[in-house]
Amino acid sequence: MALLTRTRIHVWFRLLFLQGSWNFERLQGLGFFFAMLPALKKLYPREQLAKVAKEYTGYFNTHPYLAPLVAGVVLKMEEERAVKQNQNAEIDEFKEMVAAPYAAIGDALFWGGLRPLAAGISLFFAAKGLLWAPLVFLLLYNIVPLTFRVSGFVRGYRQGIHSVEFFQRRRLPDWAIHTKEAAVVVLGGLSAFLVFQHLQREELVSWIGLLTLLPMILLGLLARKGVSTLLLTLISSIVIILLSLFWADVTHLIAI
Amino acid sequence: MSIIDLLIGAAIALVCGLDRTAILQVMISRPIVAAPLVAWLLGEPLIGLQIGMMVELLWLARLPVGAAIPPDDTQVAIASSVLAVNLGRALGSPGLEMVMLCLLVAIPLGKIGQYFDHFSRQCNVWLLTRTEACLDGGHFLRAELQHLRGICNFSLAALGTYAVIVIGGFFLVPILWPLVHQALQHSSSWLQLALPLVGVAVILGTVNVSRALTLFCASFGMAFLLMWLV
Repeated sequence: MALLTRTRIHVWFRLLFLQGSWNFERLQGLGFFFAMLPALKKLYPREQLAKVAKEYTGYFNTHPYLAPLVAGVVLKMEEERAVKQNQNAEIDEFKEMVAAPYAAIGDALFWGGLRPLAAGISLFFAAKGLLWAPLVFLLLYNIVPLTFRVSGFVRGYRQGIHSVEFFQRRRLPDWAIHTKEAAVVVLGGLSAFLVFQHLQREELVSWIGLLTLLPMILLGLLARKGVSTLLLTLISSIVIILLSLFWADVTHLIAI
Repeated sequence: MSIIDLLIGAAIALVCGLDRTAILQVMISRPIVAAPLVAWLLGEPLIGLQIGMMVELLWLARLPVGAAIPPDDTQVAIASSVLAVNLGRALGSPGLEMVMLCLLVAIPLGKIGQYFDHFSRQCNVWLLTRTEACLDGGHFLRAELQHLRGICNFSLAALGTYAVIVIGGFFLVPILWPLVHQALQHSSSWLQLALPLVGVAVILGTVNVSRALTLFCASFGMAFLLMWLV
């Protein structure tokens, strides 16, 4: 029995709420159950539904943007299972097999690469005082995740377990590294832009801006050593406030 | 101080707080979006843009991977925007100095968001046994509602963090303002530059790219020289 398009769309929309009940014991398990329930209701009679649905409340964790891909495949497998009355071992195995690698790829690509890249680009607009900088960020960021959410679900359902091979051929881990590299380049340009703009506003000589690299590299090294961002922010703020006061006194004395 | 402003802030804190983890994740929760949005609704969009720009990169390197919970930069951005707009009007100093003070007070308070978030996720564990009990009894609708109760827990965490930062800010900022006003006059523009750069430095230090430092320095140097010489 094939699921109606309406039911599949219902499942897809519910996947947007996947992490609504995220918890430390089974992570997205309850959310995945919530998303799949409309389909399970169509596939199983009421007396069998409780047992099947309960199997979905177990541990599940993947990247929220790639969860539709997993869900699409699972829907396909559930359709076959409902007809053949198989055990669910295959479905559990599939979920276990793909969830963690997809989570790792998604984290690196979307959180680690695309988000800083989109933020870096939109901050150029914000630095110029343009109020549509947030829209630039939303537009730049959301195109790729939305494509993955929609096409992943459709492809997962159409191709079933073979969608994994398609996914592998796309070499997403390589794309994650390229996106991170692009983000680093954009953030370098953004930092230079912010420093240059500030020096011009303060009517200071431009070349001292190149010295900004030194404290930035030092802060980066401290962050790598595990010093928290909060501590780095507070220390930097205190140092800047003290230096500014000192500089104000010096210029006052020179003026006298 | 206006109650309506606080309620508008709370509504945005709720929607954006849910976008952070529980639903959608279309990134309206990012400070560069949330802060200008709330400040625009309060009539001062540029204050929100300034705050969004300073907070956006700060904790961007802290990824919400697995069970890791980053500090709540969403509520920091929203609450500091509400504070800056309201206290700027109340104390008659709507400039960058007030924005900086509100932000510097809100940033440490944002750490509390992690505890609220942690607590809501801990509460969600109880929903598992309830869901299983509902399924055993054949109550499917009630089982589905347990998931939605999880969303309520996340909502409360978001609102709790917002409330702590706003209440803390309304107490601390008027006390600190006369003490640090003069110091901030000299340093606020430098702080405005420093906060995004601290964020970039943290990203640079933690990003898992082998040539990150080379790429960054080359890009920084090239862009800077171009702007300087052209």
